[in-house]
Amino acid sequence: MRVAYLHLPRFPVQRRLPLLAAAAPPGAGEGPLLALVQLVRGVQRVACASASASAAGVRTGMSLTAARALVPSLRDLPYHPAEEAAALGTVAEGLLGLSPASMSSAPDGFWLDASAASLFGGEQPLLKRALSLLQTLGLRGRGAVASELFTARALARFGGGRLQVVPRDASAEALAPLPLQALDAPVRDALGGFGLHTLGEVAHLDAAQLVARLGARGLRAQRLARGEDDMRFLPALVPEVVEELRVLEAPAEAVEPLLFVLKGMVDAACARLRGRGRAAVRLTLTLLLEPDGPRAVPLILARPSAEPRLLLDLLRHRLEDLRLPAPVATVVLTVDESCEDRGQQRVLGALPEGDAGLDSVLARLATALGPDALSSPRAAEDHRPETARARGPFRPPPAEQGLHAEARRAPAALLPDVVSPERPARLFPQPAALAVELGPAGELQGARLLGRRRAVLGLAGPERLGGQWWTKTPFARDYYRVHFEGLGPAWVFQDARDGRFYLHGFFD
Amino acid sequence: MDAARGNLETVERLRAHIQALQAAPRTHLAVLRTGVAAVDALLPSGGFPLGQVVELWGSAASGRLRLALRAVAEAQRALRLAAYVDGPGELYPPALAALGVNPARLLWVRPSAAAASSPRPRPSQLDWVALQLLRSGAFACVVLDLTHTGHRLPPQACKRLLDAAAHAGGLLLLLTPEEAPADGSLRLRMEAGPHGVQVQVVRSRQGLRARSAHVPWEALGAWGAAPQDAGRLVPLPAAVELDRPFQRPRPSEVRNGRCGIQGQRPGRDLALPDLTSPRP
Repeated sequence: MRVAYLHLPRFPVQRRLPLLAAAAPPGAGEGPLLALVQLVRGVQRVACASASASAAGVRTGMSLTAARALVPSLRDLPYHPAEEAAALGTVAEGLLGLSPASMSSAPDGFWLDASAASLFGGEQPLLKRALSLLQTLGLRGRGAVASELFTARALARFGGGRLQVVPRDASAEALAPLPLQALDAPVRDALGGFGLHTLGEVAHLDAAQLVARLGARGLRAQRLARGEDDMRFLPALVPEVVEELRVLEAPAEAVEPLLFVLKGMVDAACARLRGRGRAAVRLTLTLLLEPDGPRAVPLILARPSAEPRLLLDLLRHRLEDLRLPAPVATVVLTVDESCEDRGQQRVLGALPEGDAGLDSVLARLATALGPDALSSPRAAEDHRPETARARGPFRPPPAEQGLHAEARRAPAALLPDVVSPERPARLFPQPAALAVELGPAGELQGARLLGRRRAVLGLAGPERLGGQWWTKTPFARDYYRVHFEGLGPAWVFQDARDGRFYLHGFFD
Repeated sequence: MDAARGNLETVERLRAHIQALQAAPRTHLAVLRTGVAAVDALLPSGGFPLGQVVELWGSAASGRLRLALRAVAEAQRALRLAAYVDGPGELYPPALAALGVNPARLLWVRPSAAAASSPRPRPSQLDWVALQLLRSGAFACVVLDLTHTGHRLPPQACKRLLDAAAHAGGLLLLLTPEEAPADGSLRLRMEAGPHGVQVQVVRSRQGLRARSAHVPWEALGAWGAAPQDAGRLVPLPAAVELDRPFQRPRPSEVRNGRCGIQGQRPGRDLALPDLTSPRP
């Protein structure tokens, strides 16, 4: 089996950098002096430090007090191993489109099943695509493909290049120049004490002497150095529901801290959706208020999307309109419904942002008014006028603004090529009974309309509509276009069942 | 004299050339022409100007909606999207095709359709929807129909809509009833007459080219089946029996006469003729 390992140096710090950069004031400096600390036996100790902090002398395991003494402007954030492992799992889920399975190696890397690399043009292109996907998430890393888990991880961590592919049966040669740091701590220290520096030197030791000195641990280290790793690839379970949960450090009473947290959650949820090749249709943001309990905020998208910017924009609008009785302690973002992500076809010369404005406003209106309020007008195949009004989904063709659009401009194509029957643009949902005046020959002379008597100036018709005699509600009507005095043309019909006249619409 | 005539001909040729250029589809829209020559000639910029709030003020059957839909069709011809905020819920889709409107590119927003409990949308909801549509910048033309809603647009809401239209470069067409005018930057008063509509510019912040114009009914849109009857008083047909109750026809009467297509009685099927044998 071929496996790829992706190493994300200082992952706990890396994943926080985009958020910190967004929150930092302009001109704040090149890199943040950041340390992640955790409580070890009552002492706050550095678990991971940023590159700038490391350059200033901050080391892993150092107490926060000592680190502060070295770097007074050091910023510290809490480090929770379980949270970091979950974040790493989220990143791995985002690559499900490249590999069917992943295996975590917390806290800074994971393996991918590279058996299907041929689908992407080989192992090197697969690694390239994986790293470019990570780059879109704001993460930088290195990758290696090998036949053993240890070989792939050691090369990605300590090998020279950004992308490395080790052919089958060439693991020992590839591992030989790597330093002893690739091995686990106790064996590494013991071997270092023997004066050894590389894995190649370990591989050439006599196995019996190694077992005599270091026992089974030594033998295992030598087998690893010879490229004989027997560790099994155990795929991580992929959760069916895409859900992100964050517990706020302090209950939020304003929108800004919520949005700060939501940015990371939406990014993670969208990455997980994209990894599955899905797009969100319906989401629920659950705000756990303290002490009032949960408050659900539904979000319905007019068009399926996995764009974090769009979702965050919509959530911002929803939250800005929201009045909460208590501060928010925990935020949960759940994708209730998703569908296959077909993406959006763009044409040559189209703007890169596409229809972002359209998507955003459609989703906002659908959320506020309900999905039934937005539609595209359609004519139903029904002879009864009031039921000939139908609605379909609003799926406009993509905005064509490029050269392709210029070539396709054909205004006459939109005009109908058949003459449709006379229909008013404004039709009442239900016909209104009309008090009419008929002449001696039965002609329509006037009607009482909008509060006064109006004379008929002209009349066209009739158009006889009838049908559905096989149902309980048959109809038989003679429709006229009647020009009323001071009003304009109206659509009036005489019902054959009762002989009365009804106003059904206006030719407005 | 000849020189003057030559100049006039040149001016006429230039005028025709300019009209031809204006008739071509444009990439960068500044004006939505209605296609009704009398109305376009009345408007200061030769059509409904984008980035403005234009108010069509008049009675329910004064041709405002058809004029607005013509602007929508013009926007669609330039491959732009349009939206219709249907306050009263009265837009009739079968009428759109005759006015050149492409339904696929028209967003129909019916706030009343979503709320089953209250058939009428809240007035502020209509303003809010129009504001969101304008602000998105995705729609070249937004029609806000306030007819039969009983809602009079407050000046603050109108100012917000005007700002949004100016910022995003879209056109907002307000269809306001006689009893509730709004505060648009351009207001056209439309009055129905016996032979057409009298369009009058009541307010214009861009100046005036003319005060009013008469638009015949036929110019606003095709009547469809019977244009020759327009404006003529036609007596009701004497054949209509007002006191006759509606009767359900018997199935046997629906067929051609009282027999089947081969002359058989209802329910009796004849054998099919042999089509392979040569005809006599």
